[in-house]
Amino acid sequence: MRIQCPCCGERSLDEFTYYGDASVTRPNAFAPTAMSDYHAYVYQRDNRDGDHRELWYHAAGCHACLVVTRNVRSHIISDVRIAREVARERDAAALPGSTS
Amino acid sequence: MRRQSNRLGEGGIIDRSKPVTFTFDGAPYQGYQGDTLASALLANGVTLVGRSFKYHRPRGVLSAGSEEPNALVELRSENYREANTKATMVELFDGLSASSQNRWPSLRLDFMSINSLLSPIFVAGFYYKTFMWPAALWEKLYEPAIRRAAGLGRAAQGEDPDHYEKATAHCDVLVVGGGAAGLNAALNAARSGARVILADENAQLGGRALDDGLPIDGAPPVQWIDSVREQLEREPNVVVMRRTTVFGVYDTGTYGALERVSDHLAQAKHGFPRQRLWRIIAKRTILATGATERPIVFGGNDRPGVMLASAFRTYLNRYGVAPGRRIVVFTNNDSGALTAAEAALAGLEVVAIVDSRRGLSAEISKAASTAGTRMISGGVVIDTVGKAKLSGVVIRTGEGEDVRLSCDCLVMSGGWNPNLQLTTHLGGKPTWNDAIAAFVPGTHPPGMSVAGAAGGSFGLKDALDEGAKAGSEAVASLGWKVAGPASPRADNQPYGIRPLWLVEASKSKALVDFQNDVTAADIALAAREGFQSVEHLKRYTTLGMATDQGRTSNVNALAIMAKATDRSIPETGMTVARPPYSPVAIGALAGHHRGKSFKAVRRPPSYAWAKANGGVFVETGLWLRPAYFPKSDERDWFETVCREVKTVRSAVGVCDVSTLGKVDVQGKDAGEFLDKIYMNGLKTLPIGKARYGGMLREDGIFMDDGTIARLGEHHYFVTTTTANAVKAFQHMEFCAQWLWPSLDVQLISATEQWAQYAVAGPKSRDLLRKIIDPEFDISDEAFPYLQVGKITVCGGIKGRLFRLSFSGERAYEIAVPARYGDALMRALMDAGQEFGVCPYGAEALAVMRIEKGHISGPELNGNTTPRDVGLGDMIAKKKDFIGRVLGERPGIIDPDRPSLIGFRPVDKNMRMRSGAHIVPLSAPATAANDQGYLTSVAYSPTVGDWIALGLLKRGPERIGEKVRAVDPVRNEEYVVEVVNPCFVDPEGEKLRG
Amino acid sequence: MANTQWVAASAFVEWRDIPGSSVSVTRRDDLTMANLGVFEGQSDKVLEVIRSAYGIDLPRTPKIVTARGTSFLWYGPNQWLAVAAREQNRDLELELEPLFSGVASIVDQTDARAVVEISGHRARDVLAKGVPIDLHPSAFKTGDVAITHASHIGIVICQMDDNPTYQISMFRSFADSFAEWLFHSCEEFSN
Ligand SMILES: [Zn+2]
Repeated sequence: MRIQCPCCGERSLDEFTYYGDASVTRPNAFAPTAMSDYHAYVYQRDNRDGDHRELWYHAAGCHACLVVTRNVRSHIISDVRIAREVARERDAAALPGSTS
Repeated sequence: MRRQSNRLGEGGIIDRSKPVTFTFDGAPYQGYQGDTLASALLANGVTLVGRSFKYHRPRGVLSAGSEEPNALVELRSENYREANTKATMVELFDGLSASSQNRWPSLRLDFMSINSLLSPIFVAGFYYKTFMWPAALWEKLYEPAIRRAAGLGRAAQGEDPDHYEKATAHCDVLVVGGGAAGLNAALNAARSGARVILADENAQLGGRALDDGLPIDGAPPVQWIDSVREQLEREPNVVVMRRTTVFGVYDTGTYGALERVSDHLAQAKHGFPRQRLWRIIAKRTILATGATERPIVFGGNDRPGVMLASAFRTYLNRYGVAPGRRIVVFTNNDSGALTAAEAALAGLEVVAIVDSRRGLSAEISKAASTAGTRMISGGVVIDTVGKAKLSGVVIRTGEGEDVRLSCDCLVMSGGWNPNLQLTTHLGGKPTWNDAIAAFVPGTHPPGMSVAGAAGGSFGLKDALDEGAKAGSEAVASLGWKVAGPASPRADNQPYGIRPLWLVEASKSKALVDFQNDVTAADIALAAREGFQSVEHLKRYTTLGMATDQGRTSNVNALAIMAKATDRSIPETGMTVARPPYSPVAIGALAGHHRGKSFKAVRRPPSYAWAKANGGVFVETGLWLRPAYFPKSDERDWFETVCREVKTVRSAVGVCDVSTLGKVDVQGKDAGEFLDKIYMNGLKTLPIGKARYGGMLREDGIFMDDGTIARLGEHHYFVTTTTANAVKAFQHMEFCAQWLWPSLDVQLISATEQWAQYAVAGPKSRDLLRKIIDPEFDISDEAFPYLQVGKITVCGGIKGRLFRLSFSGERAYEIAVPARYGDALMRALMDAGQEFGVCPYGAEALAVMRIEKGHISGPELNGNTTPRDVGLGDMIAKKKDFIGRVLGERPGIIDPDRPSLIGFRPVDKNMRMRSGAHIVPLSAPATAANDQGYLTSVAYSPTVGDWIALGLLKRGPERIGEKVRAVDPVRNEEYVVEVVNPCFVDPEGEKLRG
Repeated sequence: MANTQWVAASAFVEWRDIPGSSVSVTRRDDLTMANLGVFEGQSDKVLEVIRSAYGIDLPRTPKIVTARGTSFLWYGPNQWLAVAAREQNRDLELELEPLFSGVASIVDQTDARAVVEISGHRARDVLAKGVPIDLHPSAFKTGDVAITHASHIGIVICQMDDNPTYQISMFRSFADSFAEWLFHSCEEFSN
C-alpha cells in the first residue's frame, strides 16, 4: 500500500507508522464522566466495513502525522490530510461559542 | 559424448556455432547456446528426467515453460546446490551440472517406485487416514518413512554463497509478458515518451509468437520481435527486463518481480547478484501473460514421451529439437492441428491425430492431409504403453474400437487457460467463459488492463491488436499524447474447443496434478467423502499446492469435481491465486540483509576506542554497546564486571551513555507540553536543573522514563531510554501534532549530536576538573547534584555537563559533539590514570543500578504502573497528563498488585536468577500461589552477595519475610528474604558528595 | 586541562574507495548543520529574517536553496536544515541563534548527521538498490530533496547537480552500516 503524503508525495507503507483511530478525541480528564469517557476513547472501536479515518505518522519521511481515509476492504485511500491541521479545526470547533 | 540425436538439421534460434557441454546425473552431454536444460536433454534423447513425488513414477518433460510440474532437477553442487529447478526454465551454460531428484539409488532403478504398488494407501487424504494411531508412532516411524519415500530435491546444507539484491523501479506503464501482446503494448505505450517497463520471464522475448512461428507482417515472427526489441531498447524511457517474473500484485500499483540476473551463468560476475528482487511501482499495468495449455486427463498421461502439444512446437521452433520422431496428436481443439502441421513440415512422422470432437474440424482435416496422417475423429487416448519411455498408445475410436498405435511421442492439447493469476492477487474473482471453456479475468486490480491470451483472446492478430490498444490507452489515461494504436499484420487461428475433462474409459492412473501425484480417482474419492468445496479439495488431495501452483492442474481438477458433484464449473468455484506466481528464493526476499548485514547496526561514539581496547559488545536494539572491558589476566566476564563496579565505587569509571534518546524541546509551551506527557510536574523545574520523569501510556501503564533538564526559559533537554528512544520521540511528535496541535513546541532529536559519557565515582569531579575548561566552576556549591549547564572543553569545544547518577555514586554526564567522542574518551582515560580510572560497560552499569534499586527494562515491562515500581508518590495530583485517568482504574491501583521490592538469598551461596517466581514458604508452587517474580538479579561486589529486584504482591509491606523463589525452567528452588530494594547507600550520601 | 588539540573523528570508520569511473563516493566530514524549527505563529518572521540575511525564500516544498555559502533544505513542515562547509570554523548553530531568538529553535546537527555524496552516471542504479523513491530525472531534479530511507536506514537525499550528484545524510551512528550497503551496491559498477 502507498500513501500520498501531502508533504513528501506518494510513499510506500513501510515509511509510515500506524497511530490509531482519527475519529476519537481525547476527553476532558476532569469531567465527572472521565473514567468512562477514557475507556471509550482508548478501548472501544466499531470494526466497520468501508472507510476508516486513521492516523499514520510519516516516520521515515517528514515526521508529519496524517489523517488518512482508507477503505479497509479495498485499501483504497480517498483522502489524506495533515493531522495538525485537522486537529486545529477540531479544537476550534470545540471552543465554546463555536457554531459548527 | 553422445550426438544430439533429436536435434534437427536446421531451425530454432539457438546458436549452433556455440556448443555447450553439461552433465546430467554425471553423464556428459552437449547442447547449444540458447538451449534450456530441457531442450538440450530432449535433443540428446533423454526423456526420463525425474521421478514423481509420491509414487516415484518415471517422468519426462511435460511443458516448455514455468508451468512445468515434472522436469524438476537439482542444479550445481555443494552450497550452490539448488533443488526443484524447472529444467524448462534453466538456460544452458558451459559446465552446468544437473541431476535428477527423488530417486534412489538411480533414476532408472528406483526402489521407491514400489510406492506405486502401494498406491491404494497413498490415495487422497492418506496422511489423515493411514497414520491415525498410535500417535506416538508419528514421530518415530510414519514421518521419517514418508519423508524418505516422498518429497522432492535436497536443500543445500551450508550458507548460500551467492549474493542477492533488492531494488525499486518506477514507471508509468508496466507490461507483464513479452509475447506478441506485451511487445506491441510496450511499443505503443513507449511511442508517447512515457516510462515503460517490459518484464518477461524468459531470456528471449517473443513468447508464444516465437514458439508457434506464425507469420507477422508476412515474415517469420522473429523478425518483428527483433525489430520491436531494438526499437524499445533505443527508447531512453523504456526498460526491458528479461529473465524477470512479475510474481505478485500489491496495493496501490506495487508489483513484486524477480530478476534472475546470473542464473544463466556458471558463476555470478563479480559484484553482480545471483537474483534481484524488484519492487516495481507502476501507474498502469498491462497484463500480457499469455495462456497455459492444459493436459488431458487419461490413463498413463504422465509417461515420459507425453507432452503438451504447444511445448512440442516450442522445442521445434525455438530449439530445433524434435522431442519425438513418431508422433500422435491428441486434442479437443484446433490448436493441436498446428503441432501436427509443424511436425510434418519438420519431416517428422505424424502417426495419427486423435480429435475427441465428433465431426471433422476444417483446421484438423487440413492438418491431417498436409501431414498425410490418419485422422481419428471422436476418439480418445485411453492408455499409454511403455516403461520409462513411451512406445505406444491405446486409442478408443469414435466407433468404440480400441486401436494400439506405436509412437515415441504423444502430444496433447486439452485447451488453454489464460494466465490470469495476477488479476486475482488483490481479491479479483475470475469468471467462466463457456466459449473458450476457461476462466478469464473478472475484476482487475486498479490500473491494470489485460491484453491477448491472458484475457482469453488466443489468436495472434487479437493479441497484437489488444496489445496496441492497451498500450495506447494506458498512456493516454495518464495524459500522454498518442497516435492511434498500430499493429503489424497477422492472422487469428481457429480454436473451436469442445471440452474433454476426463477420459472416463481409462483404467490406469490418470494424472491431474503431475507434481503432487493427484489422480482423477483421488478427486472422485474426495467428492465421495464430502470434500467437495474447492478449498477442501485442495487441502485434502494437496492438488495445486506444489511449486508449480497447479498451473496445469487446477482447472482440470475443478471440472472433474464439477462433473462428480453434478455442478457447473463456476458453481464449483475457483481457488484464488496468491503471490508468488512462481517460487521466490528466501535469499532473494532477504536481499542484502543477511548475516552481518541482517539489520543496520548503530555504533556509539566511543565504538572505535572500545573495540581497540578489548571491549566486548552487546546488542541493545540496533545499538552495539560495550558490555565490559576485560583485562588479559581476568578469568571471565564475572571477574571483569566486579572489578569495573569496584572501580566506580572506589575511584572513577567512564561509560558511554550516548545511546540514550535525547530530545531538544523548545518553545513557549515547552514546559506545558512536558507536563502533559510526563506524569510528574516539570513546568516548575528551575533553569539549570534536571529532574527524573516518568512517561505513561494513556492506559496508565509505564512507557518510558528519563531525565528532563531545563536549559533555558523555553528550552528543555529530555532523555529517554535507549530501547524506547524512537518510540518515545514519535510519541512526543504525535502528542504535539494531534493531541495538542496549538502548543508552541519544537521537538528535535538530538540523540546523535552528542557523545555523552557517564563519569562516575568518588574521583569523578577530580577527573572532570582536568577535562573541562577552567573558567567553569564545578565545585559542589556551584554544581550540586541535579545541576546542568553548558561548558566547554579542550579550550572551547562546546559541551554540556549534567550531574546525574544511575550508579548512586557522585557522578556526571559530560557531553561533547559526537565527532569529539573518540577524543573525549581518550582524554578521560589519559587524565584519569592518576585516579585509577577504568571504562565500564552495560553490565557494570546494570549491576550498579540494581544495587541502587533503580528500575530499568525488566521492571518497565509494559505491565507495570508507577505505583508498581515504587513511584506512585511522583504522580501529579492536579494537572492533566497522559495516563492520568485510566491510571486510576481500580484494577491497576489495587494494592494487591505485585510491586517493586528487593530480595536476598537466605543461603548466601545460592545464586538467584531472574524469572524465578515467588510463592509463600509453605504453599505449593502452583499458579494460584504465584505472588510475583524476580525481575533483575546481579551479584553485587559491593554487598558481597547475590541481590535481586522483583515484583511481589504487597511487596513493600513484607520486608523481613521469607518466601520461596521457584524456577521451574531451571528446576531450582530456594528461600529468599524480602528486603529494601536499595542495597547501597540508601540515604544517598555518596551521590551528593 | 587538555593540552593537545582534539581530533574530530569521521562517522565513517570502515570507509573504502570505489574503483572505477561510473560512480564515485565521497565522505563529507566538513559540514556544519543546524536545525531550524519555527515557533508557533512565527512563520512570516522566519521567512523575513532569512530573506534579509540571505536574500532567499525558504523552500515550502522538499527542495534545497543556497545563498551566501549556506544551504537551507526543507526538513518537514515548519522545519529546515541549514548546511554549510565548516571552513574558518563556521558553526551554524552559533551563527543562526542570534538571528532567530524567539521565532525559531536552532539546534546543532553538525554531528548528528553523517553525510556522503554519490556521483556519476550509474549513481541512480546504485541508489535504486536501497532508496525506494523515484530518482528518474523527470521525477527528481537538481535542487530536489526527499526524506526517506535507504536499506532501512533513514536518510535525507538531495540532488546537487545533473551529473547527477546526490548528497545523502543519515544519523551518525548508522554511517558504517549505510556505507557497507553502499559499497556492496556499487560493486557491480566498479570494474
Ligand atoms: Zn511526509
